[in-house]
Amino acid sequence: MKRPLMQNLLAGGYSLLLHLVLVVVLLVGLEMPSKPMVVAQQDVEIVQATMVDEMQIQAEMQRLQEQEQARLDAEQERQRLIEEQLQNTQDQLARTEQEYLDMQQRAQLEAEQRQREAEQEQQRIAQLEQQRHEREQASQMAEQERIAQEEAKRQAERERQQAEQARLQAEADRKAAEQAREKAEQERLAAEKAQQEARQQAEQERQRLEEEQRRAEQERQRLEQERREAEAERERIEEEQRRAEEARRKAAEEEERRRIAQAEADLQRQLQVEEEQRTARRVAGVVDQHTVVIQQRVRRFWIRPSNTEQGLEVTLNVRVLPGGDVGQVSVVRSSGNALFDRSAENAVFAASPLPLPSDPQAAGQFRNFQLIFKPE
Amino acid sequence: MARRWLKFVGFMLMLLPWHAHALLTIEITGGSEAALPIAIVPFGEEGVIPPEDISEIIRGNLQSSGRFAPLAKSDLISRPHEQSQVNFADWRLLRSEGLVIGKVSSQDGENYQVQFQLFDVYRGTQMAGKRYQVPVSGLRNLGHQISDLIYEALTGEVGVFSTRLAFVTVQRTADGARRFALQISDADGANPRTILQSAQPIMSPRWSPDGEQLAYVSFENGNSEVFVQQLRSGDRRSVAAFDGVNSAPSWSPDGRRLALTLSRTGSPELYILDISSGELTRVTHNSQSIDTEPVWMPNGRELVFTSDRGGRPQIYKIPVEGGRATRLTFEGNYNASPDISPDGQKMAMVHAVAGRYYIAVQDLRSGAVQILSQQGRDESPSFAPNGRMILYATEQNGRGVLAAVSVDGRIHQRLAESGIQVREPSWSPLRK
Repeated sequence: MKRPLMQNLLAGGYSLLLHLVLVVVLLVGLEMPSKPMVVAQQDVEIVQATMVDEMQIQAEMQRLQEQEQARLDAEQERQRLIEEQLQNTQDQLARTEQEYLDMQQRAQLEAEQRQREAEQEQQRIAQLEQQRHEREQASQMAEQERIAQEEAKRQAERERQQAEQARLQAEADRKAAEQAREKAEQERLAAEKAQQEARQQAEQERQRLEEEQRRAEQERQRLEQERREAEAERERIEEEQRRAEEARRKAAEEEERRRIAQAEADLQRQLQVEEEQRTARRVAGVVDQHTVVIQQRVRRFWIRPSNTEQGLEVTLNVRVLPGGDVGQVSVVRSSGNALFDRSAENAVFAASPLPLPSDPQAAGQFRNFQLIFKPE
Repeated sequence: MARRWLKFVGFMLMLLPWHAHALLTIEITGGSEAALPIAIVPFGEEGVIPPEDISEIIRGNLQSSGRFAPLAKSDLISRPHEQSQVNFADWRLLRSEGLVIGKVSSQDGENYQVQFQLFDVYRGTQMAGKRYQVPVSGLRNLGHQISDLIYEALTGEVGVFSTRLAFVTVQRTADGARRFALQISDADGANPRTILQSAQPIMSPRWSPDGEQLAYVSFENGNSEVFVQQLRSGDRRSVAAFDGVNSAPSWSPDGRRLALTLSRTGSPELYILDISSGELTRVTHNSQSIDTEPVWMPNGRELVFTSDRGGRPQIYKIPVEGGRATRLTFEGNYNASPDISPDGQKMAMVHAVAGRYYIAVQDLRSGAVQILSQQGRDESPSFAPNGRMILYATEQNGRGVLAAVSVDGRIHQRLAESGIQVREPSWSPLRK
């Protein structure tokens, strides 16, 4: 990541060094005045008009051309590196947004570097122009000083042409640099656009991914929800089934218990009924016996009134005290003859105490009973 | 089907425990018409001892009626004279249905205060009770009146203890002559008093419905003659003294007329005599037979009499205005001397069986005849005013005596005897 920047810096460094070397060579290479002049201003170089032989210029030119060529080569190399760099950047842009940001910064730095370089180049050119102009002035002064020195003049013209050519060359270089810059700018823009697109694409992709992820998340959540609901439903059904099973089991148990209880109750009842029937039979026997005894006893005490019409019949209700004593006698259905009714009542009283059975249950039936009196 | 179902239901009901609560019913048949046990406690006495023992009179009356069996004095648990002294439980043990207590007191022996109470022993309630103030002469009669109240309270029937009897006695004097007397007595035969004496026969005394007069036949004038005599005053007058037989008087229910047998036309016929006017109305016109012994039906519209128009003495019925007689008796070849019960339902008569003469009663509706007496020499039946007893004359040891029998033949009484010949009794009506 740092490497392209270093490379750029390195490239810039080389370029600067080349220019410096060129200037030093120009200064040092020329024959300097013996008497050193005080240099008041560092930025303004006072070019010592020096006579240079053609050979020297040619060689110098050759040397410059070679240097230029080297520079171009370097430049080409640099552009190639830039292309590579862009290519790398593009590749990298596609990979990550972070890299994009780094690259952008780097590209900016690079562009700034290039601009600085271009400006330095301009400054150098301007310096060169300044030097040329100073040299023209020097030549003019030499012209003035050395009249008509055509040759020198031509030489100066050639020198000027050479300078012009150099200038043109520089212009061409500048243009080429400009083009390179524009190209770099376009490349940058393209790269930016590409970056933008890539970024948008990445963004879209990211959004799409996010959307997908969100959907996937939603889907997952939905599925999770469904799963949970299904789980809950399953549990609910299971719970219901469990409860139903429990209820069924309880009902079955209850039914069984009830059936057993019912069976026991039935048995108990049957036994009770049988016992009651036995008791009832026994009691009935005792009651029958005592009915006869009481019948005979009451009859013995019944003194019917004479002179009564036929067919009289009176029904009495008799309440007997525990000892057999007659407690209360009342007429339930009168014969219509008060004396006859009375005779029957008196018979019951006279028969008191009535012989009750010792069996309490049988005796109970004589606690309250009815007597029907009829003579026939 | 329904019956089977009912049977099944009935059977199921029997099986149910609560059938024990269904009322047991016992039927009592038979019973008897025996005398009712009753306790008569001797009355308490204060002051002058009364000449009559009223509680004894009551005891005698109730006992002789045959309807009561008074406890012997020795069986009496206690001798209360007032209600506060009575413990009913004690008397219940003796099974006496009734308990009679009372008090008699007098300061001077002339006037007596008498009180009595009759209790229902089983129910512990008073059934009758009264206070009286009587002269000493009324004590006996008061005893009869109290007896009537007790009798009625316990039997529901009217007591006749305070009624009277009329009868004829015959005595032979030392010289062999017969002396006839018309007497009246208490209903028990006691306390007889003579209202008429005669050397000639006296026959057929009959009580007027108001109980104030007697009609009878007297031969005192040589021939039969019908007299009516006031009992209080003793005034008497002859109401029928026609030629021939004048006999068998019988008072009409209103007491204004007498039915008689007269033979003034030759044969004995029935007549009706208006007592006040003396007007005679002939009822029967049957010269070929004897018609006699008429008695009035209680409705006053018919006469029942004896006639031999059928060959043998039988009893007939005929309207008072005359007409066709209806024969009433068909059992046996001798039925005579009819008397009709106050309710008009029964007829007492002399009924001959195999030469013996019995008192019998015939139900006028059904015609059923029941022989009541036992002697076989019985005559002159007369109903008690309550219709429950029949007084008659019979013979005992060759001597005429009075007896009574209940209409159902179960109760027989021998009335008090005076040792003389008694005949032709007649039972008075109720005292008004």
